[in-house]
Amino acid sequence: MHITESVKGKLSNKITDWYEHSPKRIYIKAKPQDIKSIASVLFKDLGFRFIIASGCDTPEGIEILYHFSYDRMGLILSIRVLLKDKKKPEIESIAKLFPAAEWIEREIWELLGINFIGHPKLEHLLLIDEWPKGDYPLRHDRNNKGL
Amino acid sequence: MSLKIKALTKSLWVFHAATSPCNNCDIEILDVLTPRHDAERFGITLVGSVRHADVLLVTGVPNYKTKERLKKLYSQVSRPCLVVAIGNCACGRIMFKESYNSPCPVDEVVPVDLYVPGCPPKPEAMIAGIIKLINKVKGKEKK
Repeated sequence: MHITESVKGKLSNKITDWYEHSPKRIYIKAKPQDIKSIASVLFKDLGFRFIIASGCDTPEGIEILYHFSYDRMGLILSIRVLLKDKKKPEIESIAKLFPAAEWIEREIWELLGINFIGHPKLEHLLLIDEWPKGDYPLRHDRNNKGL
Repeated sequence: MSLKIKALTKSLWVFHAATSPCNNCDIEILDVLTPRHDAERFGITLVGSVRHADVLLVTGVPNYKTKERLKKLYSQVSRPCLVVAIGNCACGRIMFKESYNSPCPVDEVVPVDLYVPGCPPKPEAMIAGIIKLINKVKGKEKK
């Protein structure tokens, strides 16, 4: 069976939108509360590999894209999750499933202010430890100055 | 010429401090040292510890973390020592001037003797700069 069919079959009730940019580049939209179960299915059952996550401050809310790769056919699958509450964005951490997500979640936390619930060590990674609390450099409402 | 200056300019040992560059300048620096341009003919070679170095090469824009590291490195260099800023980032801060993580340019952290601009600077430009610097230190600068 083709891998996209098995993704659709296993996650049919959790996918809210399916966009195929090309046969090897697929974007899926999902709800924030489902991210851990989706990542678990992709990683443990279907053999996907976690590449990286990326965060983005959009007018609708803060968006996180979790990029997964299926190396056997070069397919890259991105799960888009939109956190609508900009005041207190929260999502479950997937660092417990695979440690590869630990650093990027720390980076998204310090640059965009998303609280990853259940992360083992949510501390500064790129910025200094003395960086003021509640000051997130990649938010659009912040003026782009240093400390 | 004093013995100190003669010893300093005879064969420059270089310590390469990368304060968060994009690695483009670093590759060009390697080009200067490897057989194509072969600055090692003149004894210019990279060393592993800043305590052995005559020249501190700096690339990249310092951020809050690397700024402190650079200060620490400069305090450990044996004097006399020359500081060379390679690339536009180290010479000024260009597009990173307004960045949230760029507190100051390199020359506010350590005193810079030679600026080699370019993004990245050509190996020829670096060699020309080093020759000018050596002549200046020796007091043989052309007017």
